[in-house]
Amino acid sequence: MSADKEQATPRYAPDFHQEFRKIENGEYASQCMQCGLCAVTCPSREMMDYTPRAFFKLIHAGEKEKVMKANTPWLCTSCYLCTVRCPRGIPIVDVMHGLKHELAQKSSKDGVALLSKVFFKTFMKRGRLFELGFTNGFMMGLGPPKALKVTLKQQDCALDMVKHKRLPFFPPKKIKGAGQLKKIYNKAAALQKEAHKDGV
Amino acid sequence: MDKKWGVYFCTGCGIGDALDIDALAKVAKSEFKQQNCKNHPFLCSKEGIDTIKADIADGVNTLVIPACSSRAKYEEFRFGPGIIVERVNLREQAAWTHEVDDEDTQMLGEDLMRMAMTKVKLTELPEPWQVENLSKDVLVVGGGIAGMTAAMESAKAGYKVTIVEKGPALGGYVGKMYKVAPTKAPYDVLPDNPVPALTKALEDNPNVTVYTGATVESISGGPGTFDVKISGGADARAGAVILATGSVPFEAAKLGHLGYGKFPQVITQTDFEQLAIDGKLKNVERVGFIQCAGSRDSHFLSYCSAACCVESLKQARYLKEQNPAGQAYVFYKDLRAVGKYEYLYKQVQADGTVFIKGEVANIAGDGGKLTVEIDDAILGEKVAVQSLDYVVLANGMVPSTAFGTEPGQTEAEAEAATAKEKTEEDDIPKDVILKSDLLNLNYRQGPELPTLKYGFPDSHFVCFPYESRRTGIYAVGTVRNPMHVGAAIEDATGGAMKAIQCIEGCAAGKALHPRSGDESYPEFAMQRCTQCKRCTEECPFGAINEDEKGNPLPELTRCRRCGTCMGACPERIISFKNYSVGMIGNMAKAIEVPDEDEEKPRILIFACENDAIPALDMAGLGRLQYNAWVRVIPVRCLGSLNLVWIADAMSKGFDGVMLLGCKHGDDYQCHFMKGSELAEIRLSKVSETLDRLGLESERVRFKAINIMDYTLIPSILDDFAQKIDELGPNPMKGF
Amino acid sequence: MANKTILVVGGGISGLSAALEAAEAGREVVLVEKNPYLGGRVTQLHQYFPKLCPPNCGLEINFKRLRENSSIKVYTSAEVESITGEKGNFTVKVNLNPTFINANCTACGKCAEVCPVEIPNAFNYGLDKTKAAHLPHQFAFPLKFTIDTAACPGASCGKCVEACEYKAIDLGMQLETLSLNVGAVVWATGWNPYDASKIGYYGYGRNKNMITNVMLERMAVEAGPTGGKIVRPSDGKAPETIAFVQCAGSRDENHQPYCSQVCCMATLKQTTYIREQYPDAKIYIFYIDIRAMGKYEDFYVNVQKDENVVFIKGKVGEITEDASGTLELEVEDQYAGKIIKQKADLVVLATGMAPPTRDTGVPVGFEVTDQDGFVVSNAAEVGISGAGCAKKPSEVSGSVRDATAAALQAIQGTVGGGN
Repeated sequence: MSADKEQATPRYAPDFHQEFRKIENGEYASQCMQCGLCAVTCPSREMMDYTPRAFFKLIHAGEKEKVMKANTPWLCTSCYLCTVRCPRGIPIVDVMHGLKHELAQKSSKDGVALLSKVFFKTFMKRGRLFELGFTNGFMMGLGPPKALKVTLKQQDCALDMVKHKRLPFFPPKKIKGAGQLKKIYNKAAALQKEAHKDGV
Repeated sequence: MDKKWGVYFCTGCGIGDALDIDALAKVAKSEFKQQNCKNHPFLCSKEGIDTIKADIADGVNTLVIPACSSRAKYEEFRFGPGIIVERVNLREQAAWTHEVDDEDTQMLGEDLMRMAMTKVKLTELPEPWQVENLSKDVLVVGGGIAGMTAAMESAKAGYKVTIVEKGPALGGYVGKMYKVAPTKAPYDVLPDNPVPALTKALEDNPNVTVYTGATVESISGGPGTFDVKISGGADARAGAVILATGSVPFEAAKLGHLGYGKFPQVITQTDFEQLAIDGKLKNVERVGFIQCAGSRDSHFLSYCSAACCVESLKQARYLKEQNPAGQAYVFYKDLRAVGKYEYLYKQVQADGTVFIKGEVANIAGDGGKLTVEIDDAILGEKVAVQSLDYVVLANGMVPSTAFGTEPGQTEAEAEAATAKEKTEEDDIPKDVILKSDLLNLNYRQGPELPTLKYGFPDSHFVCFPYESRRTGIYAVGTVRNPMHVGAAIEDATGGAMKAIQCIEGCAAGKALHPRSGDESYPEFAMQRCTQCKRCTEECPFGAINEDEKGNPLPELTRCRRCGTCMGACPERIISFKNYSVGMIGNMAKAIEVPDEDEEKPRILIFACENDAIPALDMAGLGRLQYNAWVRVIPVRCLGSLNLVWIADAMSKGFDGVMLLGCKHGDDYQCHFMKGSELAEIRLSKVSETLDRLGLESERVRFKAINIMDYTLIPSILDDFAQKIDELGPNPMKGF
Repeated sequence: MANKTILVVGGGISGLSAALEAAEAGREVVLVEKNPYLGGRVTQLHQYFPKLCPPNCGLEINFKRLRENSSIKVYTSAEVESITGEKGNFTVKVNLNPTFINANCTACGKCAEVCPVEIPNAFNYGLDKTKAAHLPHQFAFPLKFTIDTAACPGASCGKCVEACEYKAIDLGMQLETLSLNVGAVVWATGWNPYDASKIGYYGYGRNKNMITNVMLERMAVEAGPTGGKIVRPSDGKAPETIAFVQCAGSRDENHQPYCSQVCCMATLKQTTYIREQYPDAKIYIFYIDIRAMGKYEDFYVNVQKDENVVFIKGKVGEITEDASGTLELEVEDQYAGKIIKQKADLVVLATGMAPPTRDTGVPVGFEVTDQDGFVVSNAAEVGISGAGCAKKPSEVSGSVRDATAAALQAIQGTVGGGN
């Protein structure tokens, strides 16, 4: 019995945890036993709002807002080290990916989600990134007021890039067999889905 | 028996180099008049053994084998029944640990011979003690999962069993469960409750007799001949007893701080089982399981109840099964899903159960629902988990042996006890035996098994978990130790093994653990008994009852042959055929104690044969050199130390006496439980006598050593020898 | 009619217990042990928890029981090649491995004196050296020397042959095969320490001052490789800071998914070894859950009273060692909610139990092991009873309990009324 009269904060409402379990690979988050090996393993841990371990704890605790706003999934570089090492066999990268996918679908206005979505769209078109098209797409998605803000903030960087010919005005050539790439992607996506169905 | 002697020296392994064997043979020949002495350079070889066997064929039946330790070459020097064999450890205790071809080493060797020859002279071949009307049946007290398993397993091995169960039906605590925790791979599926099938199997088995609604009114006799009175008038005779009375859940009424009694939705694990059986979890949405409710809490049960984590995992699965949308929470300190239960833990997590680590701070009402407030160790704040339909307290277990009054502790008796003057016996720590009304043993030392900490009649030994303080009575299941269902089933199976082994041992007239197979037993020369009751009080196994006059009534099948009674008896009326006060005393007297002017002090050592003697052997194997003044006599247990040995040794002129035995106290290592402790208590009584004789009490010392202390042997012995040297010679020398 | 003889495979505490329990109930028993000595893993331990008593004390009682009982036939340096037949009537092929030393050996030690070949001492987990001709350890039972046949140069050396006065050495000794008929089998092949080098990020084998918990046991033994001193392997210095890494390979699906059950208590026990030698040493224990079951809780509570034993909840990640031999452990301290880097002079990996049957199985022609390689708990139904750690991770008293149960199952298997 704790003697202090600190007010208890209501947490662990089950709705969000249950909701999270429905998103792709989200159910794996439940299996976290809070060992923290992922936290030590993660190369982006210093920049993350929450380490993967703490992030999973927030999911269990039903902290929807913190989870949805956290940069944790977005800073995941998909290096897979945590996934390889997780003692519970949780495909952490896939959980993060599933969440990103969800966020991207649900809130296209969200900065990071949008960035990711536009990046992917641009990339899959040619198999290469067209920086200017990517930037434009992102700005359009954000909508004028936000876009203006970001543009002002980033203009120095953009000008530097132009100076160093890092921001060409014309799109690059499609890679050979861009269609094949798409096929590979689709196949991989299907395989992943399949694999996770078996609970590996 | 008519002894026909043969003395067979081995001169190999350096024995012949270190010692003058002819001189040793002379001891046998001239001092003990045994002329049949032979030497062999490799006695354990086929040729050497054949020499001995040829003599046996010629009628030799008493062998003295001065060679190596009896712990070596045991198969070679095993000559079957009817032959007395005494191994004299010239190798480890003399040749390998002392200077080669040295006067002191030779004297040591000769004394080893004298001790052995004296011992053999006084040894008789034991004849097994056979009880009459021995029963091979097993009595199982308690018809829960452990008792039922023990009964079934005994029956499967071909033994008849009687089960006495207090409740109206078999099944006990587990019988009231919906399902049980898994006991086999893959460990994540909950099997159906095994009790109904087991009940039927027992009821259908012609070798099993079940008494329900019955208790044991009394048990008298001993292993092989337990006479059991069962309430309702039935009698039974049993060869061994299995105590499987289980445990009861910790009293939830004491858990008011967790809301029990205040909120009807705060329930116990038992209540939750019933809800699951009744299918009432269908509409239950949220359940919180509070682990360590009472356990791991110094206010209630300091120990961990070992089963509750797994039980709560199992119950979380019930909720999932009956209401897939339900949410379970487990509030825990450490999630103790040991071993393969890790799989169950993971499965329950996969079900969506949320685990919250921390100390529960409060349970509050929440408009018909409950809120658990917990200091969440991981989130680092106090959180409230709300809208719980039920809070289930994992309320741990208390062994059924922990309830009851202390015998002889009515108020008047307690007062009388305080008023009584402190006597010698008061130094001996009393065993804890509560009148828990389970076995009702007609034993002088109390009606139940002595218990250890927290009321569990557990074995103290890591390596011998079944060894209780009452021979032939084995505690199994949660009465012995907190454990989960799977462990209780295993425990009960093993208990049945021990019961069967006890029965077969008694039938063969042999001692049980740890002197398994020993056919000797204590004999009491009753005409000299003074009814002092020391033997009946000090026997660690409660083997000796008393008549009204205080005469000892030994129940020999209860006896473990440690000789504690022999050590306790001031009249020296207790002896074994091959081990007695007189024998050991005479061995000490046979040692030659040189005169004072020879400046060769002598130190007599009584050493525990299980730990100290092997330690001496290992010192020998490592060729560690130690003082040649010491003479070692192995004893079955230091508990058999009779003070007359020390008195005799001092008057004989020994300069010091040392007892080498096992550690005692809370973590005692004596495998006869109290032996070394009793020896040290007895020793403290000697000091006074020594002072009266004008002898320094430092001349007599107890030293606790364990089997692996062999590297310390030289320093222990040399330090003592130095101390003795400083004290100077025993003034009694030469008188 | 079922064969009444029981075969026990493995002469550690479980196998030894099973053999003795059955024999003392009147059965004929054959005990087969791979090592040249009995006692298995426990004879390598310094002390048992919670009593802190030497395992050899209880083993000596068991050896005494064995010496007194002529119903048990012991084969050391022997392995079961195959088991055929069925419950009640098995035929067992046993390989008696050559040890180059025959029954004449008196343990006089002359062979080791002259043996020129040094080998890592397996009994001490390679912490020191021994001779190719050696006594496995001072408490070896049976008391008999053995020769490492792989390291021995054979007849080209032959020094030991000359030295032995008792014609106990036969460098040409060949493997022999034995055929037995038995009614039931107790499989008690115990456990190996999990191979810590498989946990790449800990750098076991690379980091010099990193040992496993079983090695620490040997270091703590007075007669052990360091004379009972717990020191850093790199320089023999006394460590001031010691870190214990729990669940090193246990509770881990990349290694062993189950909990090895004993490591928490083993670590708590080992803190007492360290405290006895170093009153001021700082000890860190990194854990996920502390699993001190039942009455062992008291032991845990006592260790917690030691202010210099710090418990940190978090599984250790990377461990690196600098040039001075100081190690650094990275771990997320979950109570503090931050990643810490803890320095230590000595790191002890609490590695768990790996059943040898994971690799070898039980050579019986049908499957009796589970996904982790343990003998399944209901294998007794087919006449093969797993006992002790061959069946599941278990502490000593649990193993003995289980072995006692297995002895009864074996007896049932030979009365023909087994089911």
